Amino acid sequence: MSPPLTRSQIPFLRLHLLIAGMAATGILLVAMLWRIQVARGPRYEHDLALQSLRRIRVPGMRGRMFDRHGMALADNRPSYAVALYLEELRLAGRRSSTEIEALVKELSERLQLPPTLTRQDILTHQRLRLPLPLVAWRNLDDAALARWAERAADLPGVGLLIEAERMYPQGALAGHTLGYVGRADPVQDGDQPYHYHLPEMEGRRGLERQFDALLRGQPGGRLVRVDVAGFRHDDLGVRAPEAGADLLLTLDHRIQALAEEALAGQVGAAVVLDPRNGDVLALASAPGFDPNLFVPRVSAALWRELLADEDKPLIHRAAAGQYPPGSTFKPVVALAGLELAGQRPATRYDCPGYIQMGRRRFACWYHAGHGSLDMRQSLQHSCNVYYYRLALEIGPEPIVRMAERLGLGARTGIELDYEAPGLLPSPTWKRETQGDAWREGDTCNFSIGQGALTVTPLQMAALTAAIANGGRLYRPRLVQGIRAPEAERFVEQPIELSRRMAWTPAHLDIIRGGMRDVVMAPRGTGRLAAIPGIPAAGKTGTAQYGRLEAGLKYGWMIAYIPAEHPRYAVAIVVDRALSGGSTVAPLMRRLFEGLFALHPTGEAG
Amino acid sequence: MSSLAAQTLATWRRLHWSSLLCLLLLTIGGVAFVYSACYRGDGLPVAPFYRKQMYWAVAGWSALFVAAAVDYRRLEELAPWLYGAVIVLLIMTLVMGVTMNRAQRWISLFGMQVQPSEFAKLGLILMGAFFLSRPGRDLESPWVPLQVLLLLGPPFVLIMKQPDLGTAMVLVPIAVAQLWVAGVPVRYLLRWALAAVPVLPMGWLMLGEYQRNRLLVFIDPGRDPLGAGWNKIQSEIAVGSGGLWGKGFLNGTQNVLGFLPRSVAPTDFIYSVVAEETGFVGSVVLVLLYGGVLWGCYRAAVRARDAFGRLLAVGVTTLLFTHLFINLAMTIGLMPITGLPLPLISYGGSFMLSTLLALGLVQSVYSRRTRA
Repeated sequence: MSPPLTRSQIPFLRLHLLIAGMAATGILLVAMLWRIQVARGPRYEHDLALQSLRRIRVPGMRGRMFDRHGMALADNRPSYAVALYLEELRLAGRRSSTEIEALVKELSERLQLPPTLTRQDILTHQRLRLPLPLVAWRNLDDAALARWAERAADLPGVGLLIEAERMYPQGALAGHTLGYVGRADPVQDGDQPYHYHLPEMEGRRGLERQFDALLRGQPGGRLVRVDVAGFRHDDLGVRAPEAGADLLLTLDHRIQALAEEALAGQVGAAVVLDPRNGDVLALASAPGFDPNLFVPRVSAALWRELLADEDKPLIHRAAAGQYPPGSTFKPVVALAGLELAGQRPATRYDCPGYIQMGRRRFACWYHAGHGSLDMRQSLQHSCNVYYYRLALEIGPEPIVRMAERLGLGARTGIELDYEAPGLLPSPTWKRETQGDAWREGDTCNFSIGQGALTVTPLQMAALTAAIANGGRLYRPRLVQGIRAPEAERFVEQPIELSRRMAWTPAHLDIIRGGMRDVVMAPRGTGRLAAIPGIPAAGKTGTAQYGRLEAGLKYGWMIAYIPAEHPRYAVAIVVDRALSGGSTVAPLMRRLFEGLFALHPTGEAG
Repeated sequence: MSSLAAQTLATWRRLHWSSLLCLLLLTIGGVAFVYSACYRGDGLPVAPFYRKQMYWAVAGWSALFVAAAVDYRRLEELAPWLYGAVIVLLIMTLVMGVTMNRAQRWISLFGMQVQPSEFAKLGLILMGAFFLSRPGRDLESPWVPLQVLLLLGPPFVLIMKQPDLGTAMVLVPIAVAQLWVAGVPVRYLLRWALAAVPVLPMGWLMLGEYQRNRLLVFIDPGRDPLGAGWNKIQSEIAVGSGGLWGKGFLNGTQNVLGFLPRSVAPTDFIYSVVAEETGFVGSVVLVLLYGGVLWGCYRAAVRARDAFGRLLAVGVTTLLFTHLFINLAMTIGLMPITGLPLPLISYGGSFMLSTLLALGLVQSVYSRRTRA
């Protein structure tokens, strides 16, 4: 036991206790600081980033598309926009929407542009996209740019913004095939969400859609720090976006133009392939549209007009149009007979102008009758009765098989996702879909390319190319090269051979001879397609559609030229034709003339 | 005259120099971080608070040395007069004071804005020391705590009226510490503390709307995160994101981006700027420097020649410590936001001057210490 404290000792003891208490509190404080600053530091850092850092997605420059000669078909052009930088306006002591509105009005007077921003736009921007510049006018023309430089460039908080805008320098040329772009919906990528998106284009149709991922490239990002009011304070980092890849197409802009000119005023489609490798030189559909009108968005009025148009200008008939092939199917039937059913070319059938099948009469288009014809002659005259008899003799199966081998009833695999497969009927198909047996009448219709059979112009062109090149069916190729951003060269895309057919040369000679006669013989159905000096081969066709009384007919012609060593395989179809021979053959001639005026040697380039 | 000068020099030679060194570092650091708290980014003008703070620091240090040279025992007789003077100033503040931020705390004296409540603390310390150290004072009397409470009452109520709850509350621990060290029996202290408990609900009713909000927000920070809870959340983020080493001088973002409101960054919340920029290491250095200053005050109390000097030093020690503790605890969210500045660091002239003056008096006590 220590002795009791004297009175004079009490203050000192208490003083020591007081300072000890303070020291203990101090140590406790330091422990708390350790907890908040070191132990939980990362959590607060995260909170800090959450409230002051914003990621902005910046789209890459979209890749371009060139025709086979390097002419740009889809390109980007700089578009000048007037933008307001709200953080700078705030430093000048102006931040309210009213004052921004006044500034927009002032700019509108100086630039002589109608005011585009409403008060609501300004408020929305302030609420949702404050760190981004507020775009007041897009797409300034030269006059407005000049006025900008003269009168407005010195205004504080206002700047010129350059954006890339998609353009199609050739206008409507190959519009269906190229497609167009539209403003993309903001995308979110998982763990690191973007807070803001700069306008970004996505392919909406055609090659733009098919190759969207390649053309778009890799978006970059900007990391900006915002202050408490949400204004941009500074940029912390930029990851440069990566431009998209360029596409080198197989299209030849001059041939495409020829094909489109051939279709001028018509409703129809034209396809030009290189039979040596399946390259698509032209893929035309009429009527067409100018994809530039869809960028950055199509006007409501135009959109309504396009949708209401009976001629359906948005449909790419060359790849998505499904037509009965009519007589252009006859070479397929002939090939089926020769190759798969043991028919002999010299076998003759008599045409009295019709055949009688029970109570039904199947007519030849030439009512007087062709008389006795062999196979080659049957092609030249496109005699229906010959094919009725041939088909009835061999049955539908060999024809179906030959058509299948030549790619009918299935997509060719061209780089367009809306390509249609057509329809190749067969006894099995009829039983399964209609619950009915295939009758001889079906065989007759089938043999002249009528009935349920439908094909696309692209399929017919590929089929024609296969006949032209001796039996090689290529997948039509639209994109021949892809060039990565920054790369020098295009990487060659493969030529794909879908099927090689081992036809007996003598049989092929009969078919090709008959098709040559169609164009070159004085009484050939396609003689109007002939051009002097360069022999061609082909087949016309006429197919009824709609109600019989309306008398509507599709006019067809398939052809290749030159007849020896062909360099072009063509399929053309038009609506409301008189017949293939009278309506389409002259169009084919104009196309041929154009092709050989371009290349006197007939070389495709 | 020369003998006075010689005497002054002799006094200064006996000052507690190590605590003065800590004090100097804190003052310099204060100016630097007031600058940083007003910094808004490259090329932007910095509010000139740091320059004013520098002038006040120079004035404060001059006052410190003058006060250290003055014999504190001459203040003993003056204490009631000084106490009376601050009461008058506080009344004047309420009558003709300048209102800023919803509170009437300033008056104009000789063309300067002065905050009398800062000097009231010093006045109360002197008065308490004077009262408790009177010869013949019977400290065993159960009425002594009540008497001290009556001395505390007028400045407390007058400051509360401004309203400045934080500063008023600081007066309480000062008085309690003086009673404690003077030797008042513990049972009386407890008895009066118990008597004060029923007063607390009344206190709640006396609080203004925003003060109640602060208390409620302390209990539930998510209550009003964009309003009353904002400062608490943002200062915690600032302190916490400082980490071990901090982000570097002028590199804190919470005040630059305005998340820490610019009105409080250089004043009540300056510690969050310090902590964000210097991290835990800087925080420890800060606490250690205060420890050094407090150590000097403690030594002065221990070695004081008389009870008046000892209680004077105890009062100043408690004042400094209470401010430090409440400010830091508030900044890191351990206490409700009370609006108490951090001594020597927070921007504010009156507080800088009164703090340095008080520490000068403590140095005066120490330099006239006993030889023991």
